[in-house]
Amino acid sequence: MKKDGRLQGKDFINIGIFTAIYFVIVFAVACLGFIPIMMPFLAVFVPLIAGVPFMLYLTKARKFGMLTIMGMILGIIMMLMGPNWPTVITGTVFGLLADLLMKSSGYQSVSKSVLANGIFSCWVWGQFIPMYINTNYYDNLATGYGQEYTQTLQGYMQPWVLPVLLVVCFVFGLLGGLLGKAILRKHFLKAGMA
Amino acid sequence: MERGVMMQSGREKKLLRLDPRTKLLMFLVMVVFVMSGGGGELMLAVIPFLCLLPMLLLIFSGEYRKTAVYVLLYAVCYGIQIFLLPNTQGALNSVLLICCFITLRFMPSFMMGYYVVSTTTVSEFSAAMGRMHIPDFITIPLTVTFRFFPTVREEASSIRDSMKIRGLTLGRGKPMAVLEYHLVPLLMCSVKIGEELSAAALTRGLGRPGKRTNICKIGFGWQDRIIWILCVCAGAVLAKEHFF
Repeated sequence: MKKDGRLQGKDFINIGIFTAIYFVIVFAVACLGFIPIMMPFLAVFVPLIAGVPFMLYLTKARKFGMLTIMGMILGIIMMLMGPNWPTVITGTVFGLLADLLMKSSGYQSVSKSVLANGIFSCWVWGQFIPMYINTNYYDNLATGYGQEYTQTLQGYMQPWVLPVLLVVCFVFGLLGGLLGKAILRKHFLKAGMA
Repeated sequence: MERGVMMQSGREKKLLRLDPRTKLLMFLVMVVFVMSGGGGELMLAVIPFLCLLPMLLLIFSGEYRKTAVYVLLYAVCYGIQIFLLPNTQGALNSVLLICCFITLRFMPSFMMGYYVVSTTTVSEFSAAMGRMHIPDFITIPLTVTFRFFPTVREEASSIRDSMKIRGLTLGRGKPMAVLEYHLVPLLMCSVKIGEELSAAALTRGLGRPGKRTNICKIGFGWQDRIIWILCVCAGAVLAKEHFF
């Protein structure tokens, strides 16, 4: 496979396919997010589970830009699902960082792939930003979930929790990367698909 | 395929023919106003009218059953919110509140999303994105993603069924094994389908350099104008609430 060069039709299609798989997993996990107390757990489960398709994706993404675009599109779709515009920014930025990291090893290194999943997973963090910068986020939530519920959530989401969530995303991204690596080795290498 | 999302043509009855850009705008308006509950007092009065929009559109595209379910659910939840909620207390109140909230907030946008994807063909969508000068590197992956969702969902539910037979469902069996036996087959078949999809697309000249042409007729008609005016009005109400 060519290591660099312009992105072509096939690459665009690969981006689309893996974004769809990734998003289905995100959506399955995000259904937990309907229960607001479970919201923070997005930072645990999404990076962990989506690590598996992401590691497979990395074996297909050998050109610069594929991770950035995937992050951007994930962000766009999340924005359409509920107006969380910060996700577009975090998706693009962390996608770009993961891209740069992978580029430094010519998209070959396995250990850097694990690290790349850690970095890329930080896009989930964008989902939490509105809780802090939207002044009426909790008022809005209170109309739907009741005052008590919202206050409990607000109690959990202290300002210091925000950076902690970023670290959680990263760490579970690393774990997800390791999980993906193990599953790739166990199933996909044998089948000649990775 | 269960429903031809974004691929069939001619599904939309000729009665109502909207430009894909209008549909996107409507979807955005629904998400901003209904789902996220932007706007204040005045907006609360406007929201139920906005929620009528997907109903009308679904009727025009011949989805009578879905329309009926949607209207019924919405009406019931709206009724509960107005009449029952002030008169209940405790746990019952919380449960009702949350159910109503999720239905009233998410369902209209969801129905609108369903309308958009079920009546827009891939060609129309990419033509519209082209008109908006969205670059290829966003248009193509986005199109593929939307086209691929139903496939992934369908495959996932088949895999879930077959794993149920083998006693591997969440709650039974080791969580890790459950995860592995769901994810691996899903990835395997998605990758294979994806390869076929890209072969098909490349055959149709996706990889060629140069501008791609499209025979889809898109453009704004009088129906589009009405909806644009409605959306602008909704925007004006929001602006008024926030800035004046």
